Amino acid sequence: MTDEAMPPRPLRARDLGAAGSRLLHLQALLTPDRMQGPGFAFSLVPVLRRLYPDHERFAEAMARHTSYVATHPVLAGYVLGAAARLEEKRAAGDPIDGDRIDALKRALASPLAAIGDPFFWVVLRPLSGLVGVLGIALFGAADPSMPDVRVLLCPLLLLLTYNAVALPTRWRGVGAGFAAAESPADLLRSLRFADWREVLERGGALMYGALLALLATGLHAATMSGGAGLGPAGAALLPLALGFIAARAFLRRRAASNVETTLIVILLAALVSLAL
Amino acid sequence: MITDFLRIAFLGGMLAVDRTAGWNLMLSQPLVAACLAGALVHPGAEWELWALRIPIAVGALLQLLLTNAALPAAQKSHDTATAGAVGSTVAVLGMGHLHAVMPASAGGLLWVLLGVLSGLVAAVLGGWVQGLNRAGAAADSRRAVALAAAGDAAGYERLYLGALVRIFTLGALWTWCGSLVLLAAALAILPHLAEFVTVRRIGFVFAVLLGAAVATAYETHVRGVKGGLRWTAAGAAATAALLLTLAAEGT
Repeated sequence: MTDEAMPPRPLRARDLGAAGSRLLHLQALLTPDRMQGPGFAFSLVPVLRRLYPDHERFAEAMARHTSYVATHPVLAGYVLGAAARLEEKRAAGDPIDGDRIDALKRALASPLAAIGDPFFWVVLRPLSGLVGVLGIALFGAADPSMPDVRVLLCPLLLLLTYNAVALPTRWRGVGAGFAAAESPADLLRSLRFADWREVLERGGALMYGALLALLATGLHAATMSGGAGLGPAGAALLPLALGFIAARAFLRRRAASNVETTLIVILLAALVSLAL
Repeated sequence: MITDFLRIAFLGGMLAVDRTAGWNLMLSQPLVAACLAGALVHPGAEWELWALRIPIAVGALLQLLLTNAALPAAQKSHDTATAGAVGSTVAVLGMGHLHAVMPASAGGLLWVLLGVLSGLVAAVLGGWVQGLNRAGAAADSRRAVALAAAGDAAGYERLYLGALVRIFTLGALWTWCGSLVLLAAALAILPHLAEFVTVRRIGFVFAVLLGAAVATAYETHVRGVKGGLRWTAAGAAATAALLLTLAAEGT
């Protein structure tokens, strides 16, 4: 029996839930020519199985969804939900062809990448890391005779900061995309990540200032106690300033070379330290 | 030590899946990875307290040094996921094995330096290992397209889950090998440098490294932000005021 002879089967929440949970593995087959396409098709398998019991139509849909998709992994649910909705309508007999589904995916995927990359990768992820680092000072030094619980609290702070935003966004994405499949422009307009980005950027700069103040306090305390080989306060500030200036000079010339820059700076510092 | 390395290998596999397969829960951030590795490695009962403190310092420095605000496509292919785990493991186990032959450790700063250096090297070498996954993904992607066109859902899912297993296995193997090789290198090299390693020199190199970390964090959090320096000054002033208030109250 073919699809045409069977009554259309609407998608259930659990089909969308299964597809959404598979999005966690979206990038396992990331390649330059198809990007997240194979992962997108993998995520959609529960939806397509439900909609297309007929092997031929299932194969056609699978082939369609392995094509090029490039979006932000946290926001991929919006694209998946919208594609699932159009597939459901197509399976129910609406005049929707494969090209329209592809066009909708493109119309959502690229703008969502343009929204998500600067927000999640450029701002929220570094900010979460900084919050975790600041946690070292926030939770204070432990009693020297007791285990240092900061080894668990600082990572937890980082994870909570990032996932407090990312997980609810992932959770909402599939349903919101499914509901807004007919109006992708409205969906994109409803996302306020650009506004939040500015706020978080300023928050990052504010916390960087807090890090500097805490570092200065820590250095002052260490040098006053004469510990850790840092010597008097002036002597500790000089190498710190040298490290800062050298690293900035390298990074201004080669912005994406953090690791190489630091390795060079450590090597130079070790050589200079031989003169001490 | 074998069980330590098995635990670290498993952690490395999970971190690789988090970063590469799309979980993106940020388990693979250096601070998280270093602290988890520190909690999993046991250098011996007498070092247990240090084994928790050193990973925090290694993780914090690697977090500042390896965070890059550039988009992923514009970054070099460094493996920042397993760098924290490798760095922390080498630092903690190195401390356990080398303390007898390295008389000066400057209150543990030497082991933090060792961990950060190992983490940075692991990030570069791990980036090359990632190339193996990319080659495997390219081949699997072509097979996946053929299976999808044939409508073989079960075969497609098997292939895809196989790709996940490959990511986990490569991450686990690299973390295991990287930790072992870098620890062996530290055990072989550092005793020969013991006479040059003084408290003063450790303090100097550590302060320079701290300066480099602050510079990298500046590039990430301040440069390019509208009014960034003003916000930084406000953060520093507010924190200083808070610290002074707390100090005056004797808290």
